[in-house]
This record gives sequence, structure tokens and C-alpha cells, in this order.
Amino acid sequence: MKDRISALMDGELDDRSASELIGNLAHGSENAEAWRAYHLIRDAMRGTAPLSADFSARVTWKLADEPTVLAPRQARPGRSAESPRWFTLSAVAASFAAVALVGWLAFAPQHPVPAPVVAKAPAPVEKPAIVPMPSSANDYLLAHQGFSPRVSLQGMAPYVLTVSEHPAEARK
Amino acid sequence: MKLGAYALTLALVAGAAQAQAPETLAWLRKMQDAAQKLSYTGTFVYQNAGRSETSRITRFVEAGGDIEKLEVMDGVPREIVRTKDTVRCYLPGARLVKVDRRTERGFPALLPERIAAVARNYDISLGETRRIAGYDCQAVVLTPKDNLRYGYRLYADHASGMLLRAVTFDTNGEQIEQFMFTQLSIGGVTRDMVKSRHASRSWRVEDAEAAPARLAGWGLSSELPGFHKVVELKRRLSDSRPAAQMVYSDGLAAVSVFIESLEGRPEPVRPGLASMGAIHMYTREVANHVVTVVGEAPAASVQRIANAVEYRRP
Repeated sequence: MKDRISALMDGELDDRSASELIGNLAHGSENAEAWRAYHLIRDAMRGTAPLSADFSARVTWKLADEPTVLAPRQARPGRSAESPRWFTLSAVAASFAAVALVGWLAFAPQHPVPAPVVAKAPAPVEKPAIVPMPSSANDYLLAHQGFSPRVSLQGMAPYVLTVSEHPAEARK
Repeated sequence: MKLGAYALTLALVAGAAQAQAPETLAWLRKMQDAAQKLSYTGTFVYQNAGRSETSRITRFVEAGGDIEKLEVMDGVPREIVRTKDTVRCYLPGARLVKVDRRTERGFPALLPERIAAVARNYDISLGETRRIAGYDCQAVVLTPKDNLRYGYRLYADHASGMLLRAVTFDTNGEQIEQFMFTQLSIGGVTRDMVKSRHASRSWRVEDAEAAPARLAGWGLSSELPGFHKVVELKRRLSDSRPAAQMVYSDGLAAVSVFIESLEGRPEPVRPGLASMGAIHMYTREVANHVVTVVGEAPAASVQRIANAVEYRRP
């Protein structure tokens, strides 16, 4: 079975076997777990996509919700140079690599998280780097003040900032 | 007619938000009327944790509109003159006049729907009474309903509604900045008093050429609660750099998002947060552009808006 999952990811299965396998994966099983792990391995090997904390949950959720997104490429007899075979591990080697990834997976949520909940949770705001006022700070402020409703109560007073010399900030 | 508009304001507010005492809303209205109708001249101090600056504001009202002038008293004598639809900054150090025009409409006013927005995002109540610069003032307190915005304590003259002191505070009640008149005389202003003192005919002029525009592809992946987009436009910043601007407001505070191309930038981008009193400025790169978010809102709010800026191929 693991061979077939590997083949599916490489786009080497024909349409019928592919849809059969996808159906199997979508119903969640240890095969789905393998599918998730293989994608983690692939991303780690490519070094392209960073592995986020909820990566596996998102993959699983997508799999359940939108199986077509994960449909394999058309099988081709010969591979062109610009689409190199990314996954040359045998299924056995992949299993070992999967074991090595257990550490990562342990940090990932083990159950799919409904996406809307994730989207609504307020994004944790990371601590920003503190930088001096940009040299064009006054231009931004001048452009901004004109649209600030508080000007209608305070009159021009807030505009004093738009011609400020930023002495303290410049020295930081 | 005026009474009708006023009743409509109250009706809208009552319908849109939890009941706010009518007298507090009446105070907001009174302050806004005073800010539009009175001629005055006075000295005020701006203070934040880092510094204080003294300026003079003079306002001249006539039938054809009004003219307002702000002169900075400390350091280089910079000036800003605002008419109905134009702001001119006179910077004698650089022999430069910066011009910012309003094309689509005048400066923002607290229109009824805005007051409704304010009432949705802030609890409005009457505070202490206090004497400021010789005027008996009533405080109107706008306490934010969440930590995404600052609170304001506005002290207005009992008789005229003129705002004499505005304190911005954070969710802990700590003062962030304040504007306060130390001397004010209402009335007795002539047109000459609001003219620029600078002979700027030979100075360089930088016109922002702001014009409403639809910015294809740019937007926020999610808006900050209570803040809604009020306008988007194209303009020029210093050295004629073209920029796009989107403004989000909760009815009282506003946050602008500026988007500029990375190409031909005079200096490298420094991503991060810069602060000055209640104003925060957060810079980051998005899709080969510099995004600078500027507004009188807590740092986390400005940063959240900045992090939500995205480009989708239209």
C-alpha cells in the first residue's frame, strides 16, 4: 500500500487506481497518516515550504474537504528536466524517514481542526523589531491626518506631528 | 431642519448601538460644531512621554469657508495652513511647501453614521469638570470597548463647546499623549492672522496629487474588528514617489496603509515598528512592495493590520 501512496504522489498511478486510493485516503486510516507523513518528508526534503505547527492538520482537513486539490498529475512516460523526480526514496526508506519525523508530528495537532475556527482565532502578534521613524514619516502623517475623524473634534492640533523634527526618534 | 438632523443622529445611534446617554452625544455634537464655527487663536502644548512641543493655532471663519493656521513655536518655524480642501506645510529649513488636497470631499466630520460607529466601539460618558486656561470645561470620556483602540478624554468649554484639552489613554488608563491649550481667545481673528508668514514664492512645491482610485489586488486578508475601509486613493509622497493609500477607521481613530514599489527606493527598507505618542508606524515588505501602516491606534492593532495586508493577482 505504501508503494502505491508513494506512486500516487509521483503521479505514477493510472486514473482508476488513483481515484480508488484517494477514496481510501479520504476516509482516514493509517494510510492517510502515511500520506500526511510523506508530504511532510517531501516538503522537508525540498526545503521549500516551512513546516507550520498545524501543517498536518491542515493537510488532513484539506484532504477530507477537497480531495480534488490533491489529485495527482497525469502520468507521463518520460519526465522533463524541469520537473525532476523529487521523491526517489523507496517506500521502506520513506518509512524510516517518517519515523525520524515523529518528533515533528508530535507537536502537530493529532486531529483535524475545523478551518473556520483557525481563521477566526486572533492571530498572535509577534513582538516587532523597534526601528526609528522612517525619514518620510512626516509625509505619511500628512497624508494620513486628513482622513482621521478626530481632526473634526480637535481641529488642526494633531497636525503638529506632521511637521515634527523627530529629534528623539532619529537618535535611537 | 438642524433639529431634524440632530434627532436623526440620536435615532441612528440609538438604533445602531447600545444606548448612550443623549447628553453625552450632544456634547460630541457641540464640540464638533465649535470646531467648525468658532474663530479663535491660542497657544497649545502637545506632549507625549518623549517630548513636548508648543504651537499656536489660529482659526478664521467666514462665509466662503474657513482657514486655519498652525505654527510651531519651538525650533525651526514650521507652519501648516489648512483651507476647506487643501493643506499646505511650509518648511523653511528645506525651503519647501508640501501640498495635500482633498478632491473627493472635505475633511472628515463626525457625521451621524460616524457617531453611530463611535458609539459601537466606545462607551461615551461624562467625566469631571475642570478649569483649563480660564475656561470651565466638561470632560467627555470615550472608553474603548476592546484593546484594539485608544481611549480619549476630551475637555470642552461649557459655554462654547470649544475643545481645550484632549488626552489619549491606553487600556490601562495610562496617558499616551495630550493636546492642551494653555491660552485661548475666542473671536477677534482677522484674515491676515491666518496667512503664512513665509515668502515662499521661490520655494519648491511638492504636490501629493491625491486622487481616489481603485487599488486592484491589494487588500486585507481580514479587517480589524470595528475598523472599516473609508477610502482608497493614489498619491505622491516626498520626491514624487507614487504610493497607494487605503484608510480604515472605527469612527474616531484611523489607520492608513501605504503601498509603494520597492524599485528606486532611496534607502533600504527597515521592517519593524516606530512610535511617536499615540501614532504607530509599522513597515514590512509584501509582494515586492513596501507596506507602511500608520495610525493613532495601539501598536498591536497597527501591526495586525500590517500583517493582514496582502496582494492577490486581480
